[in-house]
Amino acid sequence: MKKKTGLIILGVVGVIVAVVIFWAVTTYNSLVSLREEVTGKFSDIDIQLERRADLIPNLVNTVRGYMEHEDAAIERVTRARENLLRADDVDDKSLANSELSSALNSLLVIVENYPDLKANENFINLQDELAGTENRIAVARRDFNAAAKSYNSKIKKIPTNIIAEIADFDKIDYFEADDGKTKLPEVDFD
Amino acid sequence: MKKFLLLIAFLTSIFTIKVNALVDATDKFYINDYANILSEDTEKYILEHSASLAEKTKAQIVVVTVKNLEGKDLESYATELFRKFKIGDKERNNGLLLLLALEEREFRVEVGYGLEGLLPDGLTGRYQDEYIIPYLKEDKWDEGIKNGYNAFYKKICDYYEIDSSEVSVKEVEANYDDGAFIFVFFAAFYFGAFMGSSFNIHKRSKKGLAFIITLILNIIYFIVVYFFFKAFLLVVMLFEGIIFLSLMFSTGSSGFYGGGGFSGGGFSGGGFSGGGGSSGGGGSSRGF
Repeated sequence: MKKKTGLIILGVVGVIVAVVIFWAVTTYNSLVSLREEVTGKFSDIDIQLERRADLIPNLVNTVRGYMEHEDAAIERVTRARENLLRADDVDDKSLANSELSSALNSLLVIVENYPDLKANENFINLQDELAGTENRIAVARRDFNAAAKSYNSKIKKIPTNIIAEIADFDKIDYFEADDGKTKLPEVDFD
Repeated sequence: MKKFLLLIAFLTSIFTIKVNALVDATDKFYINDYANILSEDTEKYILEHSASLAEKTKAQIVVVTVKNLEGKDLESYATELFRKFKIGDKERNNGLLLLLALEEREFRVEVGYGLEGLLPDGLTGRYQDEYIIPYLKEDKWDEGIKNGYNAFYKKICDYYEIDSSEVSVKEVEANYDDGAFIFVFFAAFYFGAFMGSSFNIHKRSKKGLAFIITLILNIIYFIVVYFFFKAFLLVVMLFEGIIFLSLMFSTGSSGFYGGGGFSGGGFSGGGFSGGGGSSGGGGSSRGF
């Protein structure tokens, strides 16, 4: 009789352990795929950031042909581009991207003084490409932040947080809004 | 209590519509003139050309005009709309959206992932400058949109190696809005139900006579519907036929209420819908 009770207890414990292991494995796997999704979305941003950086030399060359005394503004754009290409984590990239936006904005404000340049077909084309790329970055950023949000909230929720804690699933930083668009451009008058 | 619940349901449905600021795709899908600025000819033209293009290449060109953007900026409105409509094929992502916001006086061409190579942002901007914006500045909506539509249409046709002068234009009957259509459908539905139940109640021995009378009445009904609406006759007849047959062969006399499940059915008889495409925000914007 006693042997039988022991067996039953053993069985129940066994079932519970099996259920817990099963839960842990599925939770772990779902966290892995969520994190992969976030990584994928980040590389979407990355592609667009690179594309943006690729467009800058062309723009600078076109602008140089028309502008004479605006080296400071042009150089600021070139420097911001280099910083963007050097940046390698989410924070740095979003910062460098904002800086590039603000540098470009100042340059475009100056362009207003050059009607010939504004009407230049090549320049209009480049500006469309740049605007399109900026919009793609905005879209990719929204997608990334949405994915990061669902991942971040999942690793904080009970009971998933236990697995996240054990297996070292860290919070992912959001890609901050590119506020270069709303910031007033600084214009250099010297 | 029931009424109260119904009221709540009604109010929440209104609320949901309000919250969801984006417009819905009409059953024409390719042309959604919410600002009501396009002529019927233009709408028909776009609908037929887009439908035939989609049939051949799965590429979808969708034109949307809205009164205003509900406070959103043009770019995010366009991308969200693109994704909501799922413009373009799921695999090829070859969708194109032409969006006009009337109050803001803004126009945007939004390109699906798959067409970004063919239609880079610079090109979409140039097409707008050359073919669309000059007209829109003078409030010539039909000319501007049709002209721009043609430019993009031709470009896409060339890409898929379709001679755009040879593209056979698909005849699409789409002059009827949802209201008229639902009316026809329900009219047919209840007419059939009424006919069936009134005859079914009688003795089964008279089934033959009932059959003939119902048949004659139905034929008269179809003729009337045909002259008034012309469209969707086939669909109505089909459903009517099903109703008719089920009534004739049903043994119960309780009439027809078992068939109520039809009403919720997704009824996109001649309608179109998105192919599952998406956009990453490519394209260009202009004010006019």
